[in-house]
Amino acid sequence: MNSHRPEPSPDRIRSHHPVLRPPPRRLATLGASLFAALLLLGAGGELAAQTGSIQGTVIDAQSGRALVGTQVSIPGTQRGVVAGAQGRYVLENVPAGEVTLRFQIIGYELVDRVVTVQAGTTVTLDVQLRTRALAMDELVVTGVGQATSRRQLSTSVAVLGEQAIAEAPVQSIDQLLQGRVAGSTVSAVSAQPGTGSQISFRGVSSVFGSQTPVIYIDGVRVDNSSATAPGTGGEQSSALADLLTTDIERIEVTRGGPASTLYGSDAATGVIQIFTKRGRPGAPRINARIEQGFDAPDLKYILDAGEIYPSRVESGELPADFLAQSFFRTGWVQNYSLGVSGGSEDVTYNVSGRVQDAEGIQPRNESNLISTRGSLQANLTDRSRLQFSGSYTRSSYGRLYNGTAIADPLTALEVGDALFFTGASTVQEATEIFLLADIEELVERTGFSGGYIYEGSDLFGFRATLGVDRRASEQTQFQPIGFTPGDEEGSLQRFQRNFTSATVDAAASLNWPSTENLRSTLTVGAQGFRDNEYRIFGSGVGFALPGSKDFDDAATITAGESRSQVFTGGIYLDENLAIRDRVFLNLGVRFDAGTSFGDEVDFATYPKAGIAWDVGRETFMEDLAGRWVTEFRLRSAYGETGKFPPPFLRDRTFSATSFREESAPRFSNPGNLDLRPEVTKTFEVGFEAAFLDDRIGVDFTWYDATTEDALFFVPEQPVTGQGTQIRNVGEISNRGIELDVSALLVNRANFSWQVGATYQTVDNEVVSMGGAAPFFVEPQKRVVEGQVVGAWFVTTPFDSNGDGNLNASEQRFIRDCDDCKAYGPTPTRSGGVSTRFSLGPSLTLSARGDWAAGHKVMDFGSVWSTFNGIYRREIREEGYEYPIRYNAQGQPGRPYAQSAARSEFIYDGDWFKLREISARYAIPGALLSRVGAQGGGAFFSLRNAWIWSKNPLIDPELSGLNPAGGGLALGGESSITMSPPRSFRFGLEFTF
Amino acid sequence: MRIPMHSPLPGRGAARTLMLTLAVAVSAAGCDFLDPTNVENPLTTTEDLARATEPTRALLPGLRAQFARVLGGTMVLTEVVSDNYSIHGTGLNSEYDNPRAIVPNIVNATGTATGLYWNLQELRALSTFVLDDIVPGDNSATTEQLAEIRYYRGMAFLMLAENFTAAPLEVDGTPVPASELLARALADLDASLASGVSGEFNLRARAAQARAHRLGGNAAQAAQAAQQALAAQADFVFLQGYDATSITNQAFVFTTQRALKEMQPLPRLDFLDPKYTSLSAGAPVAKAEEMHLILAEIALASGSLGAARGHLADAITLAQSRPRPNFTDNDQRQNADLTVRPRNAEIVIRADPQSPFRSGLVLTRPGSVPVPTISGTSLRADSVRALTGEEETWHAFHLARQEIHFLEGRRMSDLGIRLPMMLREIDANPSINPGDAGTTVVVPSYIPEGNGMDVFTPSSPYDDDDQLVTTQVTIQVDMNRVLARERVNAFN
Repeated sequence: MNSHRPEPSPDRIRSHHPVLRPPPRRLATLGASLFAALLLLGAGGELAAQTGSIQGTVIDAQSGRALVGTQVSIPGTQRGVVAGAQGRYVLENVPAGEVTLRFQIIGYELVDRVVTVQAGTTVTLDVQLRTRALAMDELVVTGVGQATSRRQLSTSVAVLGEQAIAEAPVQSIDQLLQGRVAGSTVSAVSAQPGTGSQISFRGVSSVFGSQTPVIYIDGVRVDNSSATAPGTGGEQSSALADLLTTDIERIEVTRGGPASTLYGSDAATGVIQIFTKRGRPGAPRINARIEQGFDAPDLKYILDAGEIYPSRVESGELPADFLAQSFFRTGWVQNYSLGVSGGSEDVTYNVSGRVQDAEGIQPRNESNLISTRGSLQANLTDRSRLQFSGSYTRSSYGRLYNGTAIADPLTALEVGDALFFTGASTVQEATEIFLLADIEELVERTGFSGGYIYEGSDLFGFRATLGVDRRASEQTQFQPIGFTPGDEEGSLQRFQRNFTSATVDAAASLNWPSTENLRSTLTVGAQGFRDNEYRIFGSGVGFALPGSKDFDDAATITAGESRSQVFTGGIYLDENLAIRDRVFLNLGVRFDAGTSFGDEVDFATYPKAGIAWDVGRETFMEDLAGRWVTEFRLRSAYGETGKFPPPFLRDRTFSATSFREESAPRFSNPGNLDLRPEVTKTFEVGFEAAFLDDRIGVDFTWYDATTEDALFFVPEQPVTGQGTQIRNVGEISNRGIELDVSALLVNRANFSWQVGATYQTVDNEVVSMGGAAPFFVEPQKRVVEGQVVGAWFVTTPFDSNGDGNLNASEQRFIRDCDDCKAYGPTPTRSGGVSTRFSLGPSLTLSARGDWAAGHKVMDFGSVWSTFNGIYRREIREEGYEYPIRYNAQGQPGRPYAQSAARSEFIYDGDWFKLREISARYAIPGALLSRVGAQGGGAFFSLRNAWIWSKNPLIDPELSGLNPAGGGLALGGESSITMSPPRSFRFGLEFTF
Repeated sequence: MRIPMHSPLPGRGAARTLMLTLAVAVSAAGCDFLDPTNVENPLTTTEDLARATEPTRALLPGLRAQFARVLGGTMVLTEVVSDNYSIHGTGLNSEYDNPRAIVPNIVNATGTATGLYWNLQELRALSTFVLDDIVPGDNSATTEQLAEIRYYRGMAFLMLAENFTAAPLEVDGTPVPASELLARALADLDASLASGVSGEFNLRARAAQARAHRLGGNAAQAAQAAQQALAAQADFVFLQGYDATSITNQAFVFTTQRALKEMQPLPRLDFLDPKYTSLSAGAPVAKAEEMHLILAEIALASGSLGAARGHLADAITLAQSRPRPNFTDNDQRQNADLTVRPRNAEIVIRADPQSPFRSGLVLTRPGSVPVPTISGTSLRADSVRALTGEEETWHAFHLARQEIHFLEGRRMSDLGIRLPMMLREIDANPSINPGDAGTTVVVPSYIPEGNGMDVFTPSSPYDDDDQLVTTQVTIQVDMNRVLARERVNAFN
């Protein structure tokens, strides 16, 4: 939802736009020298000062309610405080002289007040803030050359502010986005630790690679891979799981299109920019937070022993609720964090640490997390500064095989395979055997960002960022002797992945002319980044003795590796023109070159153009609408973005396998010298409006995005003996709307009530395949012209001889009529709803839900259960009967094989989840002062409180079957995989 | 509005120095990493291949490996389509058990277990690439290497012809009928033999020549090649080896490891299973027994029953002389519903309701069982020599061929079933439309409906406590009887 959110101080302003041609080594060295020289240029010059203090209260202008949590800051400096109980604030050590104070809090207007501070005295400044449905004066930096107020943007950028992030009962960034950003689809994979969500913005714009947006933290591109280790069934570890929400000041999200153009060949799937917290001058401030809670399994989609093993339950061998009783559990969670920030006028710091421990809702799902983050910044002069931030996260967790694996206890128990695969005589014994497998994963992630900002004058500015994200993980899968029936050997697999991404980024801006009627800002920037990924695995099979967990003790040892590297660089120009402060024009272009482009391709060029008209500020509008329409802004933009092909696929290659002590080569990649990024061209029109004295805010966007030169893994004709080659052949269209509405329904001194909703639609279609043959992007999901990407194309029983009996099967689309578009696995409509109550001066209650609809999902667990004669749909869906195949003579035969009747396992995907319920209580100042705290609160939250779905068999949000290697993951299919648990949390936080 | 910064604080100079040092160090250190020229493809590119000193020798192991993949795909896929095996787990598509339900999508596989079409085309294309693009520029290529390459390509053509009615041979090409595929197979095999190499690949090519002529119905040439092969070595056998860690014996994976308990043999063939007892176990690709069987078939087709029985007896005698090592088989012989299939030696089997019960066909499992790793048969030479009547001789011939070539990927073709090419070929080739030659499964009318070839009664001769209830098991259809009555043979 739109509302006032904290303004990024200029030091957050960064851009991320690559260097043109990959610079030769000599040039790169020169660049480094230049960078250092600029740093030195900015150094020097110090002024002495005397200081005073400012104090006051911040209240709601209409209701008089104290606005606890208001950020009070001096723009352009690191100084600031947060208003505490009764809305009181005190700002000390303020330089004497005329000072501008900025007051901002979510849902209210941003107010700047000028006050004169005299040395050694305290000046009082009380402020009343009016509610604002739209945060139009908020500054954003993503997708524009330099910090620009939202009022001037011709595109839509979603912003999550500090307060919204801090209050969200989530652990990772992907969870935070769920239901909070219009235009996004965020689907959890499973309840197992280490897994991340599938994120996509504005539909599926590409049929290769991940749809996950690129993510920047403090200007540095970070690992966003959704497949960082071998699957443990249908699930894979994700780098998103260790992108924590700790210590984040704000997040800006562009959903592809013109707002992402300046990111070039990297941004068609959108950009998420994360800005971490910085320290502010003043005495050290300590923040402590203690959180306790528990995760409880949601058993809505679990068929327990009574339904799967009725005869064993009847015989008394097994309790009907065996799984609920003996397999699942309620897992305790502990979370502690401690931070300290402060500093002098010239050097500030912010350091924090967090430890977390969780037991998990299934056996062997324990997890442990340690993370630290720190930032340091120094003013070199009054016009230049340096800033650094770094983080370290260590995450370790256990896993169960789950999703698809034969060794998966839950699936085996749920589909009736437990005895079959273990050779055990009882279900209890089978479960014990399954739990012998030991899967552990350890992730260590280190990030670093260094930046330099030089604001030489109001005319000219320069900034540069350099940073690295490194993520190293190791997964061990140990199957001890006796795990596999009859297998006296045991096996061990060890997998390591090292990923490093380096970013270098620099931009200069010129503000000229700068008059009341015409302001121009021209930014020229360059950016380069390089990703290196190295995967190595070792496997040992056959251990003579128990106890060994070294694979070099094994009878048979194998090893393998894969490496990939890519460098992409580009330059960009961005011109922003403000005419009469009413009409805003934006023009820009980016040129990219990259090592994944084919030899015949030089540059990729991405232009953009946009216009915004702040109609609400026009005199005629003010006369016409008055307080009924307090904001009204029209905008329209066109922009192109790209998605670069994977490394090395331009080359014709051969790969070899070790075979009988020889290296045995075969064809690998067919090669394509014309390979270039696919280009998504987006046209969008929208408006923001605030009504009824700014109580209702509406943000609407219609977009039409066409991906041209779409990269398809085109299957070569098998006659060539070659596999698939990625080629620029297709065209994919996504059209839809994004609507974000917020309303302040009640605003009284002791009670306020806000509601909000987001709604989005996506109409996806493969417009052209450029002559390439239809293909399956995942099993059952077809890519064919005229249909959505990955339209379900499944075996369907039908009557071939007209006798009224089902006797044949063929692959068909799942659709409502012969001319209708087929259903795909991704939602065509989705949204979120939220509400928030403030009761009295201290208590806040909020709830949030999200939903998706218009798609179909596949239930693989029920597919597999048919092998054991268990038709789960018949158990859960009253009146449903699994089809029987008749013979040509009209006589009934056996039930259709699952492979001939996949249509029976595809269900409506509609769902709604009550995602979060939370309560926060601001502890009164009198109580706080007793413990010496400046601020503090207590909170309770419940996440994943309740699920509704049209189908009774699987959680349709889950995308538990992920393709290997992090390729395109459309989701919409899962096996027996647990929904994210109901997470109850309660805790206390204090600021000293 | 900007606020002027004031008040230099103690330590500011040191902080600045530290920060600047950090910035410069990071910039300098990042240079190499951000150097785009330092991005190299870790795989062999065309340019790399051009630098190979002996490219033909280097690529030859690739053809050997690819031939192993081909055999793996044939052994698994075609055996389950035939009456030899049926599917009882989750690892293989149960539609394979119902030949008439096989559509191009079902065989749209590229792996080494069921990707038969894919791997055959890759073997043919890779061989052609070496012969056409590498050998002409490679002075180091030897005659022996060329003979081996031509053998592999000949086998690719031959096995395409055995298992498919037609297949394209070039990009955008129309499907070439099996007869033409066979002609190309013979051209390569002839060329391999004409190169004059001796030893293994001479004999393998000769045996393949006999096999190809048999498929083409060329009795005289088939007989000549078979006799030449036998004359070279009366008990020859060549195995395609596998690797325990990379290209494993896929038949072993599905019939011995049975992780997903997929494939179970028809009970009357129980004594032949599992044929391969290790991941690297070799699979027969050419053996003398087949030459005798070809001679028997030719004699039978020409009405020389006595001569035919003699050749059959030779094949049986040789098969029985092959090794039968003991193997501890832990398989429970379960149907998909966990009921138990015949697994006790006291069980007797009849091949159809009209046939007599026979003992010795089922072995007791789990337990130690003798495994015919090259050839095995339930027939005896004396009994075959004593046979009377044409149909009975044909029946014995088909049974001998089924048992001796068990799990070698031959039975489906002998039954007259031909697979459709994979869907990807139909989709991607503009010259091929659904319904064209080679795009649909061919199932002769004498093949029973559904999974009729795999059905026997009772489906489990055991009670709920796995105690044997009856020792008599009856197969629904004896496909060898059907083939004999229909006089199905290569020389009609």
